[in-house]
Amino acid sequence: MAATPHERLFFVADFNIDLLARQLANTTRPGVETAIAPPGPVMAALAAGPPGRDWSAVVWTRPDAVSETFARARDFAQVDHDRAIEDARRFGAALRAFAGRARSVFVPSWVQPPFARGWGMLDYRPGAGTAQLLARMNLALAEALADAPSIYMLDAGRWLAEAGSRGWSQKLWYAAKCPFAPPVIDLASADIAAALDGIAGRARRIVILDLDDVLWGGLVGEVGWNALALGGHDHVGEAFVDFQRALAALAARGVQLAIVSKNDEAGALEAIERHPEMILRRGDFAAWRIDWQDKAQNVAAVLADVNLGAESAVFIDDSAAERARVRDAVPGIFVPDWPSDPARFRETLESLRCFDAPVRTDEDRARGSMAADERSRRAALDAADSLDDWLRSLEIAVGVETLGAANLERAAQLLNKTNQMNLSTRRLTAGELAAWADGPGHCVLTFRVRDRFGDYGLTGIVGLDIAGPRARLVDFLLSCRVMGRRVEEAMLHVGAAHARARQASTLVAELVPTARNTPCLDFFSRSGMHRTAGNVFEWDLSRPYECPDAVAVADHARVVTSIDP
Amino acid sequence: MDEETARRLVYDAIDIVNQQLPAAKRLTKSPETIIVGAGGALDSLGIVNFVIAAEEKIADATGTAVRLLDDAMLVEGGPFHTVGSLARHIAARAA
Repeated sequence: MAATPHERLFFVADFNIDLLARQLANTTRPGVETAIAPPGPVMAALAAGPPGRDWSAVVWTRPDAVSETFARARDFAQVDHDRAIEDARRFGAALRAFAGRARSVFVPSWVQPPFARGWGMLDYRPGAGTAQLLARMNLALAEALADAPSIYMLDAGRWLAEAGSRGWSQKLWYAAKCPFAPPVIDLASADIAAALDGIAGRARRIVILDLDDVLWGGLVGEVGWNALALGGHDHVGEAFVDFQRALAALAARGVQLAIVSKNDEAGALEAIERHPEMILRRGDFAAWRIDWQDKAQNVAAVLADVNLGAESAVFIDDSAAERARVRDAVPGIFVPDWPSDPARFRETLESLRCFDAPVRTDEDRARGSMAADERSRRAALDAADSLDDWLRSLEIAVGVETLGAANLERAAQLLNKTNQMNLSTRRLTAGELAAWADGPGHCVLTFRVRDRFGDYGLTGIVGLDIAGPRARLVDFLLSCRVMGRRVEEAMLHVGAAHARARQASTLVAELVPTARNTPCLDFFSRSGMHRTAGNVFEWDLSRPYECPDAVAVADHARVVTSIDP
Repeated sequence: MDEETARRLVYDAIDIVNQQLPAAKRLTKSPETIIVGAGGALDSLGIVNFVIAAEEKIADATGTAVRLLDDAMLVEGGPFHTVGSLARHIAARAA
C-alpha cells in the first residue's frame, strides 16, 4: 500500500540496509521518504537520533554487533552468558532513548544464519548453546522494550523460516555487506509496511465471508445442513472446522465477522445454528445478507449496517467471479486471492498482514459481544415509536476522563481509526498524542459510552487548545458505533463547559474535509454552532451548549470544574 | 541450456532487482537492456544483487551451483554488459 502523506523512514543497521530501504521506497511503500544513518557504530547512530521527530525508524542489528559476549559464545569461547543479557538490556535502553525522538521504531529480532548449527544437540542447553543464549537475548530485549509504546519488535526468525535456505546469503554478505537476501528483504518490507498501516489506523476491521465452500464444504441449499462437509473423520471437513477456528481467533483479536452469501437465509442460518461441528454461530456475526442479490450491493449493505467503510473490510469468497465483481464494485475493499483447496484456507487467512494493529484494547476484546448488543439495540429501534423514543429508551450514559496512562493506547487507536465523525482526521502515535496533551493550554478529554444493552467502551475524544478567549476544538471524533445517538452533542456540551470554566469566550471548530468525514460536517452544520466561513463553526461561550436529555454525563475525572447544568 | 532458456532466467533475476528500483528506472526484459556499463540503471549494490539472483535462478533450473560473480567480468563490454550477452554467456557455460 502507498505511504501516507509525509511518511518518513530512517534506517539504522550494522550491515548494508540499502536493499530494504530501496524495496520499501520503490515497491512495498511507494512514496515513503527514506534515509540511512551514516556508517559507524549502531550505538552512536542511536545516540544521534533520527533526522526529526516525524520520522519512524527501523533498527536492525546482528547479535554479534551488539554483544561481543555473544560473538565469543558463537565462537565457542567460555563466556558468562549473563553478560550478553546485560548487553541486550543496554541496547534496549539505547533504543528507548532513541524512540523518544522518533515516531515509531521497528526492531527486527536477532537471528543467526540458518546454517549455523552452534553446539548441535547442546545448542539449547543453558550456559552452553548459542541458540539458547540468543533466545534469552531476544526475550531480554523484548522485556526491556515492553513499556515503550512506540517500539515494535518484529520477528525476523519468521522471515528466515518462510524464506528458507535462500533467505540468508553469505555471498551477498561478502560482496555487499548485507546477509539478508531478497526473499527476507521482501518479507521484512511487507511486515514493516503492514505495521505502518496499522499505526496509521488502516488495519482491516471486518471479514465478510461467503458460506458454501468457504465456511463449510458443499451447497447447503442442495444437500441440507446435515450433509455438509464440516468436521468429522474427513480431512476436508477438518480443514473447514480449522478455518472456522482461525476466524474465531481473529474475532477474539477484535476483527468483526459478517456474511454475504447467495443462499436461502433460513436454511443457511439453520446450518449455522444446528450443525454440531460449527465453531462460529449466529452470535459471532456482526451482520449478514443471505439472499440472491448482487454480492457487491450486499457487501455495501453489510458495511452500512456496521458503520464501516470498504477500506476497513476484507471479502472472502471461493468464486473468482464474485471476488472480481466485489473488487471492482466496492473500491477500497481488500479481496485476497483465495485457494480452491480448503486445506490452505487457514494458512491463507493467517498469512494476511492487513489485520496488524499496534495495540489490542479492551474494546477489541469485547467487539464480539458488542455486535450482539448492537443487534439488540436495532431490535429495540424496530419496536420503538420514534427515533427520540428509542434514544431515550437506550439510557445512554457518557463518562468523561482526561487522557492518561490507562486510556492512552485506546485513545490513540481511536484517533487513528476514526474517519467519519472526525473534525481534523489528525493521526498521531500514542507518544505524540500524550506529548500534545501536555502542551500549554491543551486538554484531551475521552468519552466512555454505555447504555442499557452494553458497554461501547472509549469511543469519543475531544482535544482542546485554549489560548486566551479562544478555545479551539483541535480533535472532535466519535466512533461510528455510537454516531447519531446524540453523544456528539454531549461531547460538545462537555467541551464547551470545559472551555467556559477556563474563561474562554468563543469555541471554534474548523473542519478539515476528507473523503470520509461528511458525517462530521453534517453534524456541525446542524449543531447550532454559527458557521462563520467555509467549514469554520463558532459557539458563543457566554451561554452553555445544552446536553441532550437522552444522554447522561458523568464527569469522573472532574475535568470540567463547573459543568453546565 | 539454450540461449532462450538462459534469457528467461535472466528475466527472472530482473524481476527481483526491479523491486529495488524506482518505476522509471526499472530494467526492461529485452536482450538490449544494459546491465553493466554506461546507460545501465544498476549501481554496484544492484549489480551484485542481480548477479547473485541470476546465479540462484540458474541453480534452480539446472540443479547445479554456478559462479557468475567475478569482478573481472563486471566491465563494459564483458558478458554482463547486456541481457543478451549474459544469456549467451550462461548458455555457453551450461552447454
